[in-house]
Amino acid sequence: MKKSDILWQANYRYNFDRDLYVNEMAKKAFSLEFVDDHPEEELRQHILENTDAKEWTFYFNFPPSDSVKRELEKDLESVRR
Amino acid sequence: MPERTIEDRLREEYFDLLPEIRRVVWQLEAEIRFLTLPILHRLQAHEQLVVKSRVKDCESALKTIARDADKKKEDRRSEGRKFDPERSSEYSVLTLPDLAGVRVLVFPNSRLIEVDTALRARLENWESKPVKDDDGEVLAPKYHGYCEGASSKIRGEYQIVPMLLGLFWEVEHSAMYKFRAVANSKEMRGRRADVQKALASFEAGIESFIRSKS
Repeated sequence: MKKSDILWQANYRYNFDRDLYVNEMAKKAFSLEFVDDHPEEELRQHILENTDAKEWTFYFNFPPSDSVKRELEKDLESVRR
Repeated sequence: MPERTIEDRLREEYFDLLPEIRRVVWQLEAEIRFLTLPILHRLQAHEQLVVKSRVKDCESALKTIARDADKKKEDRRSEGRKFDPERSSEYSVLTLPDLAGVRVLVFPNSRLIEVDTALRARLENWESKPVKDDDGEVLAPKYHGYCEGASSKIRGEYQIVPMLLGLFWEVEHSAMYKFRAVANSKEMRGRRADVQKALASFEAGIESFIRSKS
């Protein structure tokens, strides 16, 4: 199965402005680069990973700085509303 | 009053510079048309040379800056495509080398080399940064530099592209414009490489057919 299908089935939707696969309920976001560079099995594990969904979890090759994280959270939260 | 964002500041910078960007693109296009005129006059019936120019639009410029902000330092794209407020002063549209761009589409490839040589003779100080495929093969010569008299701030870019490949890039760009990153994913890069190889082989085939008949 293609990685994009795995993410779609797990309710991740592609955000074209940010190039992220986002699941608003799980509050998780995968960067396009991360998805490209990691095997399907690892993606599946991260999808199943238990986070409390209170704060956003970003799966990036290079973790975003705190300030970028705040900006991204602001963006993703405004989409949720 | 809403807070002024980095995007707002960059848009203002872009529109302040726009008249200058236009001057660069006009001058570069005029120079390239002039320099390639002798080649144009010698073209045979089946040969083609087309000069096109464009000013990079504002939102596309902003997207490129957000995407490539980390590229210079760390040779990677900025995941999440978000400007970092703590690095606000680092962002400028002047970092883009392709605000003013000219593309010369040429068929056949022997003419491409001729055009490249003619332009190099005049624009010899321009920095060469050819377009390459994922295997490092050069697809098209590309150069950046300043147009004397037009601007000392805005760099121009010109590239000389095999015609079929250039037309494919145009179609691809308009079809995939909004999905640029998806178009650059590994899967799509593989498909693009297949198309590029097929077009190059088709073009070489026509060229050799014409040569054998003339």
